[in-house]
Amino acid sequence: MATEVILPRLGQGMESGTIVRWLKSEGETVERGEPLFELDTDKVTQEVEAEASGVLLRIAVAEGEVPVGRTVAFIGAEGEDVPEVAEPVAEAVPEAEAPVEASNRLLQAEAQPWIERRSRPEPGAAANGRIKASPLARRMARERGLDLAAIHGTGPDGRIVAEDVERAEAGGEAPPASNRLLQAPVPAGEVERRPLSNVRKTIARRLTQAWQVPVFQLQASADMTRVNALVAKLREREPELRVTVTDVLTKVCAAALVRHREVNAEWTDEAILLHPSANVGIAVAAPQGLVVPVIRGAERLSLAEIATLRTDLVARARENRLRAEDLDGGTFTLSNLGMYAVESFTAVLNPPQAAIVAVGATEERVVPVGGELAVRPMLTLVVTFDHRAVDGAPAAAFLRAVKEGLEEPGLAL
Amino acid sequence: MTVAKVEHRSSLAKGELGDVLREMLLIRRFEEKVEERFRAGDLPGFLHVAIGQEACAVGVCRALEDGDVIASTHRAHGHTLAKGTHPNELMAELYGKQEGCSHGYGGSMHLYDVERGNMGANAVVGGGLPQITGAALAFQLRGEPRVAVAFFGDGATNIGTFHEALNLAQLWQVPAVFVLEDNKWAESTPEWQHSPIRDLSDRAKAFGMKTLKTDGQDVEAVYKTARKALDHARGGNGPVFVHLETVRFSGHYIGDPQVYRDRGEARELSETRDPIELLREKIGVSGEDFAELDAEVTEIVEASVGFAKGATDPAPEDALKNVYA
Amino acid sequence: MPELTYREAVRDALVQAMREDEDVFVVGEDIAEMGGSMGVTAGMVDEFGPERVRNAPISEMAIAGAAIGAALQGMRPVAEIMYEDFLTLATEQIVNQAAKHRYMSGGQVSVPVVFRTQGGAGWSPGAQHAQQLEAWFVHIPGLKVVFASTPEDVRGLLWSSIYDDNPVVFFEHRTLYPIKGEVPEEIEPIPLGRARVHREGADVTVIATGRLVHESLKAAEEAEGDGISVEVVDPRTLQPLDEETLVASVKKTNRAVVAHEAVTRMGFGAEVAAVLQYQAFDWLDAPIERVGARFAPLAFAPVMEAFVVPHAEDVLAAIKRTVGKE
Repeated sequence: MATEVILPRLGQGMESGTIVRWLKSEGETVERGEPLFELDTDKVTQEVEAEASGVLLRIAVAEGEVPVGRTVAFIGAEGEDVPEVAEPVAEAVPEAEAPVEASNRLLQAEAQPWIERRSRPEPGAAANGRIKASPLARRMARERGLDLAAIHGTGPDGRIVAEDVERAEAGGEAPPASNRLLQAPVPAGEVERRPLSNVRKTIARRLTQAWQVPVFQLQASADMTRVNALVAKLREREPELRVTVTDVLTKVCAAALVRHREVNAEWTDEAILLHPSANVGIAVAAPQGLVVPVIRGAERLSLAEIATLRTDLVARARENRLRAEDLDGGTFTLSNLGMYAVESFTAVLNPPQAAIVAVGATEERVVPVGGELAVRPMLTLVVTFDHRAVDGAPAAAFLRAVKEGLEEPGLAL
Repeated sequence: MTVAKVEHRSSLAKGELGDVLREMLLIRRFEEKVEERFRAGDLPGFLHVAIGQEACAVGVCRALEDGDVIASTHRAHGHTLAKGTHPNELMAELYGKQEGCSHGYGGSMHLYDVERGNMGANAVVGGGLPQITGAALAFQLRGEPRVAVAFFGDGATNIGTFHEALNLAQLWQVPAVFVLEDNKWAESTPEWQHSPIRDLSDRAKAFGMKTLKTDGQDVEAVYKTARKALDHARGGNGPVFVHLETVRFSGHYIGDPQVYRDRGEARELSETRDPIELLREKIGVSGEDFAELDAEVTEIVEASVGFAKGATDPAPEDALKNVYA
Repeated sequence: MPELTYREAVRDALVQAMREDEDVFVVGEDIAEMGGSMGVTAGMVDEFGPERVRNAPISEMAIAGAAIGAALQGMRPVAEIMYEDFLTLATEQIVNQAAKHRYMSGGQVSVPVVFRTQGGAGWSPGAQHAQQLEAWFVHIPGLKVVFASTPEDVRGLLWSSIYDDNPVVFFEHRTLYPIKGEVPEEIEPIPLGRARVHREGADVTVIATGRLVHESLKAAEEAEGDGISVEVVDPRTLQPLDEETLVASVKKTNRAVVAHEAVTRMGFGAEVAAVLQYQAFDWLDAPIERVGARFAPLAFAPVMEAFVVPHAEDVLAAIKRTVGKE
C-alpha cells in the first residue's frame, strides 16, 4: 500500500505552506531522510525529508499553497496503484474577525488624566441635548415618574443629583426633610403626605409631557334640544340601557373625526399619523385618579352599543378593574364635567392625541333664534388642539361638524 | 510518600541493561511519534523532543530512590517517562486531555506527576532551579534522607536563577543534585556564542560546589555518576553538580529547520553518538532481538496515541478550577 | 486588651506559628541576628535558631524560589523580601512559578508560601525603596494579596496567610510599624477576603488601604465638622476582594472615594472603582473619586516626596468633591 506524503505542520500556528519545487521526480527512488521537496512557510524556506523509502509514484501537487495535512505525493513499490487525489481547492481563508469598534464614545475621549483635571467642561457640553444627572438621580426620577427635563440641577456643572429630584418631587419649595446636607429640617406633623400611586405618577408624567406641546383652543356652543329629545326617547324605549348625552357626544365626535381625519391624528418627529378609526376615550374620575378608557371604532357603533360599552368601562374604572387593552389606542378624548355645573373649561391634551374636547353642563340660555329671543339648552364645548399637527382651519371645520352633529343628530349618521 | 531505603548498587547490573535499553528505546519511539503527530496537526502548543538525550534521563532517574524528587525543563518528555509516568498519561497530556498527567492544564512544558516525585517541567529557562534548592532545604529541615534533582541545559547556566540557586544550595549545603544536560546548544545559539567559558563545570566550581562530569551518551556512566552524586548529597555532604556531555539530534522545537546548524555535523553525531546504538552494541543485542524490542515499545507508543485520542476533553469551564487551593 | 505595635504584631504571629508548627520557618536577608531591616524578626533567632530563622544572601530569586520549593514539599515558609521594590527581582518566581503550579499541575500541588514585604513613602527613602506595587500582584490569578493597616489586623491576617494553602503576597507599610493598637489576648485568625468598617457614616464611603486608612480616618473627622458623615472601610485583603461589603456601603451612602498610597493611575483603586460602578451604578450620586500618588517616582527631597504622595487633605478634598462642596 503506497505511503501518502502529507504536507507537514512544521510549527505551531502553521496552517499552510507553499511547495516551491520538488527535488525528486516521479519514478525516482527515494530513501527515508532524503530531501523530497522545498517548502516555503511564513518564516523560512526549508527542505522536507521523505518519511519513507521507495519510489516516488506520484506527485499530486506540483507547486503552490497547500493546507497542512493535505496529501501531496505517494511513495511506494514500483508499479503500485495510486489513488486519485482531488485537486487542492483553495480553502477559503477564514475572514479575520472585524475589529470590534470602539462604539463607546467615552473611549475616544481625551487621554488626559481626569484625576488631575480641575477645569469645568467646555461650555455647550450639554448642547447635544443630554441631560446631566447622576445615575441615582435618574433612577429616582424614573421610579417616581418625574421628568428630568423639568428638574433643576444643583450638582457640579449643573448636574441633577438625588437631592434635586427629591426637591422637585416635594414641589420645589422647601428642601426635603430627609436631606441632611441642607438647612434645618422642615418640621413634620400637620402636613399630610400622600404617597404617590403609580396612577398619579403616570398622570403627572403624561400631563407634564402634554403641557409642553404648543396648543390652541376653539370654543363653540351647541343647541342640545334635539339631543335631549333623542336621549329621552331612547331611555323610554330601553330603560336598562341608560343612554346619556356623553354617549351621543361620543358618537357625534367619532363621526366628525372620521370626516376630519386631520384631527384624528398624532404628532411624531417623523410624521403626522392619521388614524383610520375614531377610538374615543372617555375621561372618568375613578377613585384611584383620572383614567381614560377607550371606545374603539365609535363611528361604527350604534348609540346602544356605545352606551353598553361605556357603562361597562365606567363601572370597571370605578372598581379599578380596567385592563391595559381598555386604555390603549385612543385617538381622541372626551372630558365631560357637565355634571358639576361647570360652564366650560379647557382640557389638557391626552398625549399623543392631537385633540381633546372639554364639555361643560348643558344649561338653559337665552339665545336669538330667527331674530326672536328663545330659551334653549346650550352646551359649550372647548376643543384643545396640538398645533404641531392641526391648524386652525381644519380644527374649526371639525368643531363645526360636531356642533352640527349635535344640533341635527341625523347628520352624524 | 514512602521513603524506603532500597539498596541500590553503585552501577547498573548486567541483568538490568536490557531493561535500560528498552526504556531508552521507548523514549526514542515516543519522541518520534510525538514529532509525527505534531506534523500531522494533532498536537497543539510547543513541543521539544529530547531525541539523543535518552541516556541522561534514564541513567539519572534509575539512580534515584523512592522519595527523591525531580524538576525538569521544557524538554521534559524523557525525564517524565524515565521517572515512571506511563506513556498513556503523557500522551494524553500532550493531547490536552483530562486523563493526562497534568489533566490537560499543563501540556508538554508543564508535566507534573507528584506521586512519582516529578515536581514539574518548567517553561521558564532555569525556573525550577531555586525550587529544587528549596525542596532540598525542606528535606534537610525535616531530616529526611531524600534528594532533590534539577535537570537543565547549557543555556540555563547563564540565567540568574541558576547562579542564585546553586549559590544558595552550596551555602546551605542542602541535598540537591544539579544535572546539566550539556548538548552545546541554547535554542539556536551554540555554546561558544552564549558562554564566555568553555567548561561549564567551572560555573559550579565557582560556588565551591562538588562537580562530576561524564559522557551523557553512555548510560552506564551516567548512572554511576548520578549514584555518586546522590550518595554524596544524601549523606549530608552538600549539593553536587553533574555535568553530562550529550547531543540533541533534533531541532530546538518540532519544526525547527535548524538553519543555524551544520547538517552534516548533526547527521554524523546521530550516527556515532546515539546512546541507544552505543548500549545495544555494548551488550550485543542481535538484530532480531532488537527488532522484537522495537516492536514491543512501538506498540506501547501506538497504544498511547489511541488512548490519548479516545480520552476525555476537559470541559471549557474547567479552566476556572484549580486556580486556588 | 493588650496593646502591641504593628511591628510586634507581625512578630507575634510569626513566633506563635513557629512555636506551634515545625513546618513554619522564616527566610530572608538580615533577619537573624540583626532581626530584619525593620526589626520585625528581632529576637526570633534566639528562640528558634538559625535553621528556622534563616539568613539568606542577597538573592531574591533564590529566596523566593527556595521558599516555593519548600512549600511544594509541604512546609509553610515565610519569605521576607526586604523592600517591596525588590519584589521585582523575585517576581519571576512568584508570578511564573508560585502562582501557577497548582493550576498547571491540574491540582496536584499547592504552594502554601507567604512573601512578606514592606514599602511606602516617608523619611525620603528614594524612588527605588518606596514603591507600592500591590496592583501588579492582584492582577495574577493564583496569588492572594493582603495589606493590613492595624496591629490587630496584621496579626490575625498574617496568621491566616501562613495557614492559607495558596501563595500570599503580604504587604506591610513601613510607617505603620511603630503604631500601637489593641489586640485580642489570643490571636484571632482573620479570614482572608473580609473587609473591615472602621467608621460608619451616611454621606460618602471612603475605601482605603495601608497608610491611607489612617489618613482617611483623619479626613473623616474633619469632614464631620463640615457636616459630612463619612464611612471608612478597609478591604484588608486585596485579592480576594470583599466586594459585598464595599458595594453595600456605597449603596448606603451613594458616594465613594477610593484611597491608596500607590500611584492612582492604573492602580488597585481603579479596579475597586470599576466594581463599584458596575454593581452600584444606580446608587451613585456622584462620580467615584480616586486618591493616590501622582504619576511620578518618589523624589528624594522631602518637599517633593510630600507633593507626590497623598495625605489626609487629599482624601478630604475628594470627600468634598463627591458631595458637591468644593
